[in-house]
Amino acid sequence: MLNTCATRGLIKLELVRALRNRKFLFFSVLYPSIIYLIFSSSAGSAAKVDGSELTVATYLMVSMASFGALTAVLMGNSERIAKERESGWVRQLRLTPLPGRGYVLAKTASAAVVSLPAIVVVFAVAAVLKHVRLDAWQWLALTGVVWAGSLVFAALGVALGYLASGDAVRPITMIVYFGLSLLGGLWMPSTSFPQWLQDIAKWLPTHAYAALGRAIEQNQAPHAQDIAVLAVSFVLFTGGAAWLYRKDTLKA
Amino acid sequence: MTTTAVPATTAPVAGFDQVTKTYGSVRAVDGLSLRLYPGETVALLGPNGAGKSTTLDLLLGLKHADSGTVSLFGTGPREAILAGRVGAMLQSGGLMDGVTVAELVGLARALHPRPYPASEVLARAGLTPIADRKVDKLSGGQAQRVRFALATAGDSDLVVLDEPTTGMDVSARQAFWATMREQADQGRTVLFATHYLEEADAVADRVLVLHRGRLLADGTAAEIKARAGVRRITFDLAGDVDQDALRALPYVTSLDVSGRTVRLRSADADATVHALYGLGLYPRHLEVAGLGLEQAFVALTEAEEAKRPC
Repeated sequence: MLNTCATRGLIKLELVRALRNRKFLFFSVLYPSIIYLIFSSSAGSAAKVDGSELTVATYLMVSMASFGALTAVLMGNSERIAKERESGWVRQLRLTPLPGRGYVLAKTASAAVVSLPAIVVVFAVAAVLKHVRLDAWQWLALTGVVWAGSLVFAALGVALGYLASGDAVRPITMIVYFGLSLLGGLWMPSTSFPQWLQDIAKWLPTHAYAALGRAIEQNQAPHAQDIAVLAVSFVLFTGGAAWLYRKDTLKA
Repeated sequence: MTTTAVPATTAPVAGFDQVTKTYGSVRAVDGLSLRLYPGETVALLGPNGAGKSTTLDLLLGLKHADSGTVSLFGTGPREAILAGRVGAMLQSGGLMDGVTVAELVGLARALHPRPYPASEVLARAGLTPIADRKVDKLSGGQAQRVRFALATAGDSDLVVLDEPTTGMDVSARQAFWATMREQADQGRTVLFATHYLEEADAVADRVLVLHRGRLLADGTAAEIKARAGVRRITFDLAGDVDQDALRALPYVTSLDVSGRTVRLRSADADATVHALYGLGLYPRHLEVAGLGLEQAFVALTEAEEAKRPC
């Protein structure tokens, strides 16, 4: 592509800015680990989670790593994009040789760079303070899967950023974010939900996302349904983001 | 309609061909056709709502015409921008926050295929002393200079500026136009929209007057003043004033008599004065003056308004 250099320039600056923003870093990197410690301590970390072979500490580790990655990519994308559409920065960028998709790509790439430490810090806290033990391949596979899976939600963040604007974007993002986290079982095992809620929860992408990680922890093959849910969500979110992006470009 | 003395064989930098853009029932741009040629400094003048911003948006590919075609360097606007041939600043252009002025200029350089050295870009926009300041902490005039730096971070063939000196004080404005003239002297084509008519008068070699989305006049500032029929002739008469005779003088467009003082506007002052003597009158304190571009502009748009049925 002609202007990969241009896109790289924007990614670099987006990263500098993300790393400079302490509030954002705290929420996306440290906050999941803190919640992890609180939740896993209150439950007695060696106890087994209902309907699972995993201890609470191990189970919650994947939940919170997924939650951390979700925070970084969803919050990083949606509010920023909405804000920068409104301020006219997106418009200004369209007067430069940056390719149209370069902006979304740079946003997603920088969000992904911030989400990686969020994942790794949760794993480190779990291993050191909660004595979670896994094989080396499991740690690597977990990191890779949780990280790659976060792209699904990065696309959702882009879609929300182009969907809502102004005062609406924060509440909408928050509802989606907490709804997906809570109902997807990232905060508490969805096995503790009433049956009707469990039936809904298992179709949520966040549920499938954490389930992929848990399959690795349990040394199992991933469930086809989880992969299908994530793949369909990815297609829906990317398609939605692309459609909203094009609509925005035409009216800008 | 007058045109500038550019050879017709030169390939235009930009072209509008019967371009129309409507918003609901409002025709923001109405069958607009024009060409910009290499090396010209062109001012786009018009009252609010004349369609200046829409014209620039169409030129830069931010909006799409309902009908007609817009071309830049023989291609579509988007292709020309991707090739780095256009540098532009718009009023509505925002800035990235949380980064410094130098970092943002660095980004603009990374985005341009033929960037200038960073120190040069900063100095040209007068940003060197505030290079380390955060973009979100700038005043309006400073932010405007950052936008200018973004538009001139690389070697572009066309520079488009929408009301570039808004928010600048007088000295900043003068420095800005000095820089702009340098850009034009290097063979660049410069197109700017402005509210400040004296800027168009002083800087542009060609002025486009836009009114209700149509091109009302196209020529040098002097030609436009002349075209508006605005030479003012003032004199005193010793005897009685025969208003009908004065109004019947050739090329007179308006007449105002107070006591013995007569004020005429004429489209051809030479012919009017000649005929005035021909009447056997003896005008005293005769003065013939050209009006500023501002009055010419008002006269032009008023004349156009008067043609409208309602």
